[in-house]
Amino acid sequence: MTTLALRRDGPGTITAPGPRRRLLGLVAALLALLALLVLSVMIGSTSIAPSAVWDALFHPAADIDQFAIRDYRLPRTVVGLIVGVALGLSGALIQALTRNPLADPGILGVHAGASFAVTVAVGVLGVSDIQGYMWFAFAGALIVTLLVLALGSTRQGQSPVVMVLAGVSVGAVLGGAREALQLTNPAAFDAMRSWNAGSIVGRPLDLVWPILPFLAVALVLALAVSGSLNAMALGDDLAAAQGVRLARTRVLAIIALTLLAGGATALAGPIGFVGLMVPHVARWIVGPHQRWIFAYSILLAPSLLLASDILGRVVMRPGEIPVGIVTAFVGAPVLIVLVRRKKASGL
Amino acid sequence: MTTTPWVRRNKALSAALLSAALVLTGCGSDDKDTGSTAAPAATTRTITAGNGTVTIPADPQRVVALGNTSQPFIDIGGKPIGVTELSASELDPIPADQKATYEAATRLGADTAEIDLEKLAGLKPDLILVQVPDAEFEGIKKQLETIAPTVFWGLDTEWKAFADALAEAGNLTDSLSTQKVAFQGKVAKIKETYPQIIADTKFVAVDRWDNSDPGTFVITDFGCIEIAADDIGLNSPKAAAGADPLGWADLPFEQIAGLSKYDAILYPVDAAGQPKKAFATVTESNTWKALPTVTSGRALGVFCPGNNSYGPVLQYLDSLDTALASLAAKE
Repeated sequence: MTTLALRRDGPGTITAPGPRRRLLGLVAALLALLALLVLSVMIGSTSIAPSAVWDALFHPAADIDQFAIRDYRLPRTVVGLIVGVALGLSGALIQALTRNPLADPGILGVHAGASFAVTVAVGVLGVSDIQGYMWFAFAGALIVTLLVLALGSTRQGQSPVVMVLAGVSVGAVLGGAREALQLTNPAAFDAMRSWNAGSIVGRPLDLVWPILPFLAVALVLALAVSGSLNAMALGDDLAAAQGVRLARTRVLAIIALTLLAGGATALAGPIGFVGLMVPHVARWIVGPHQRWIFAYSILLAPSLLLASDILGRVVMRPGEIPVGIVTAFVGAPVLIVLVRRKKASGL
Repeated sequence: MTTTPWVRRNKALSAALLSAALVLTGCGSDDKDTGSTAAPAATTRTITAGNGTVTIPADPQRVVALGNTSQPFIDIGGKPIGVTELSASELDPIPADQKATYEAATRLGADTAEIDLEKLAGLKPDLILVQVPDAEFEGIKKQLETIAPTVFWGLDTEWKAFADALAEAGNLTDSLSTQKVAFQGKVAKIKETYPQIIADTKFVAVDRWDNSDPGTFVITDFGCIEIAADDIGLNSPKAAAGADPLGWADLPFEQIAGLSKYDAILYPVDAAGQPKKAFATVTESNTWKALPTVTSGRALGVFCPGNNSYGPVLQYLDSLDTALASLAAKE
């Protein structure tokens, strides 16, 4: 869910907790994530004894349960962790960049670009497996975001408002083109069913490693611009007065969020709500401090994704619900509650 | 979505075209009738199908077979003048003479939702046979019935009843009888040859569809395994009454380990005996390779070219016979 209404006011009026409480909260979030990582490996749609899980990780053998742990659950947990981190951080970046607490990574056309590219790959080029169309998704996300960046650049520099409008417009056009392609090729629509829903099942680690360098670069860029984004939250004039180079910050932030959201979408398909909701929650906890928001988002987003995935594995046994559907079910009511607390997460 | 742009695009045009077709075919009939001495009553009969009672020619000569009727109609000896296109996987396993019949027919669209009504009307069929989802048929019913008598069956029609009805509509009951005798003989032979295995073995049929989620497979209870269970008596898992078929639920690969509770696994292979392309990711997995059922040679590849007409079903039974023979050799 995205909105075009950009806030022009300053930081929210919430009373932010002190550094000690923020740090304690961060440690709690880290512990929660660690617990969910363990649970994600332990819990599945089949019952495997904890001792088998332990042996699979630390005393590997050619045992059928150990294969299930090493080949399916562990990669799934790693993918959930990486995708969660990427979505959470990209959401925090886009919300800081647009000063819009309801922006998500899709607002700049990342999802639309990835989805369109995957549709072309599947429907026109006949690519049939995720190993093949993952790169189309990534390239589609990057190309479309660069296009939006170009469209959003005016003589006065990059305007968040124009960029968002460009992103929404390009997204709408590509969404229409994608649907047209899928209508004329029902087989392509069918083949993309699970990717469209957003899932982290069946992604081997071999699929993850090539994406990791891009995400690592994006992480460094995001942390590098976090201070500048903090100043920009006060308004462009005040930020410029503090020596912030607005155009450079925006371009670097867009590159970072595109790599993050593009990489996550390529791996798991378009997963909504995580990038929208988690930074919102982080801001609710720590107030308008970008570095803290980034740190909390990096920990809370994979927690939400992993918790949703675990839930999706057990509620419909022996089948499963794709994580993208569960995050939507979990995210929607929480988001509604949060957006009604207007002061809680203002930027 | 049942109406495609192609159909929509032609809606305005179709009325005019269909009227023209009716005039052409109607006029042709009148002229023929005028010069004929045969009694008109002898040239038609009625048939009851999913769209009610339909009056059709007694011996239809220009049949168009749409949707799931294309291959089964050819399989029972029909020579349609127009068909829905078959996919490569449907076309590959059919015999050469049937392939030639298919090639000789006019292809009217990749699926029923894309039927070229103008081309269909131009064929001047005297009978149209259709098996598609109900909602899809509703979208084209009026256009088809304007062109020629149309006989429709829903997808829930049992395959043997469907073959009977198709043969009756196409006046091909003699050739169907030959296939039915072959089927009954094959079933009887398998039951007589492997009574102990059929009675004592817990089978499970697994598959993976082209559109299955990555990292998932299915335990299936429909298609060819349904025939093996119902006609031969193989003991394999079935959905509870009223529940969705088992084959609709994608199961994550970690549940491959759960297959070890069965005595034998039936998995899909192509005509050459290699695992079906979509299923290959399962047979390549470490979990599959470590299954005791697999290591003991009790995972049996079975070729199922189709389950909607006797020809493909007979090929399936041959493959199943071979699989059961290999199982018997291990007993």
